[in-house]
Amino acid sequence: MAQMKLETDNLGKTFRRAGAAIEALRAVSVHVKEGEFVSVVGASGCGKTTLLRILDGLIEPTEGTISIDGQVVNKPGPDRGFVFQQDGLFPWRTVMRNALFGPEVQRTDLGAARRVAEAMLRLVGLGGFDDYFPHELSGGMRQRVNLARALTVGPEVLLMDEPFASLDAQTREIMQGELLRIWREARKTVVFVTHQIDEAVYLSDRVLVFTVRPGRIKEEVVIDLPRPRELAIKRTPEFVHYADRIWRLIEEEVRESLGREVQEAVLAHR
Amino acid sequence: MARNDATVAGELAPGPVKKLLGAVKPSTFRAVASFVFVMVLWEFVARILVKNPLFFAPLTAVLGRTVELWQSGELQVHIWTSSQEFILGFLLACLVGIAFGVVMASSVIVRDYVDPWVSMLYSTPIIALGPLFILWFGIGVSSKVAVIFIVAVFPVLINTFAGLSTTDPNLIEVARSFGSSPMQIFTKVRFPAALPFVIAGLRLGVARGLVGVVVAELFGAKQGLGWLIMISAQTFDTAALFAGVFILAASGVITVEIIKCIERRLAPWRSQEDRQ
Repeated sequence: MAQMKLETDNLGKTFRRAGAAIEALRAVSVHVKEGEFVSVVGASGCGKTTLLRILDGLIEPTEGTISIDGQVVNKPGPDRGFVFQQDGLFPWRTVMRNALFGPEVQRTDLGAARRVAEAMLRLVGLGGFDDYFPHELSGGMRQRVNLARALTVGPEVLLMDEPFASLDAQTREIMQGELLRIWREARKTVVFVTHQIDEAVYLSDRVLVFTVRPGRIKEEVVIDLPRPRELAIKRTPEFVHYADRIWRLIEEEVRESLGREVQEAVLAHR
Repeated sequence: MARNDATVAGELAPGPVKKLLGAVKPSTFRAVASFVFVMVLWEFVARILVKNPLFFAPLTAVLGRTVELWQSGELQVHIWTSSQEFILGFLLACLVGIAFGVVMASSVIVRDYVDPWVSMLYSTPIIALGPLFILWFGIGVSSKVAVIFIVAVFPVLINTFAGLSTTDPNLIEVARSFGSSPMQIFTKVRFPAALPFVIAGLRLGVARGLVGVVVAELFGAKQGLGWLIMISAQTFDTAALFAGVFILAASGVITVEIIKCIERRLAPWRSQEDRQ
């Protein structure tokens, strides 16, 4: 088997709070090839974000391991870049100094890092905004800075947690197209968490559909649509077919869990 | 045609004056108008209604007395003494307040031991300890420094602590994701995020510290603006009393402006939000 870029082996996570144990993830094994774009979708509370945070090393898994290029990792590192849902820009830093945050804490050569940051800001379409503060930018622009900041540390894997969720519909569509362009030009491996099915189909090579808690991979849908993809592809029958299929898988899960909750409530009532 | 406020103000005076007024923002115009009105009212009340100079002094008399005090060199001595006391006491309060705020925010154990005292002392009218400080440190500069310190230190400390403990968890997570050490998280995220709180604490500290100067000097002093106010009251020199009050008011405004200026430099995103 070919060497995988990012691999997890039977990941499990159980949160313990005030005596209660909540199992968020169970036996998740993900294999992502170099340069692949993989999305994770599922009903809310299915542990998608937990998976991403484990992949970045922000939290530790209860079971299982993560490896990058076959090497086991257990804490954040410059090989992975995390793009947060809230843009998480430091309001007291200019665009350029936000982009330079990674190299600064990792104590790499700032002169060289500045050139990388400039290139990344241009790549996301924000050249010439170096000295702006985040509050002077729109939501879409802030999310671009967020992406450039993650790219500046030169990660091989980008972990993206619903990065476009807080944007309006038009901006979101534009950003999806932009992300595909950036992905193509920067040649990164991407794991993308979203609850928007059409976003997942449009962007991905593969979509992993998660079950409700505890989150497991219910099904893997390979998106065999030609690239580069234009936004118009969203109206083709093939696209709609994929979206429908994923939607039915998620619906099944939600219905099942609702049924389970109703059953439990009825039992408790007796 | 729609008329805006600027043209309304401009209608008051024709010709070149109209042009000049048209350039002034309506809010500035109103502020100046209000100021001029109160000054005229003050003069009128002092000259026509309260004729006894013992109770009230016309603005012109206050101004004259201020110039007199300045020319005799007396006023400079008072201003210098009070400024010295204020600057020393306030700087000490900033240093100790910020340092303790940082320590309290970094250690749960220290916070648990110190917090009840801080909350208690913050809500006590601590200025009542003034006479005790005069007793301990004498009627010179040091007792005033102590009083100013003790009244100004708590707002600085509490705000520093509050700012450091309410940092947006998302920003801390971002920093961790880039592999920041706990020390880097403190210096690069928590402290800058707390700065606007610290500055708000400084502003409160200035206000309390200025009260501290006057009250401490009332309790016992040889010179200073508070002392000037007290002595003027005792010798029925009402104009000199107002001179002291005005200089204190002016220095309060100036100090707050200096802090606002610092805020604009250190926390530009914050002052931007204030303006919106």
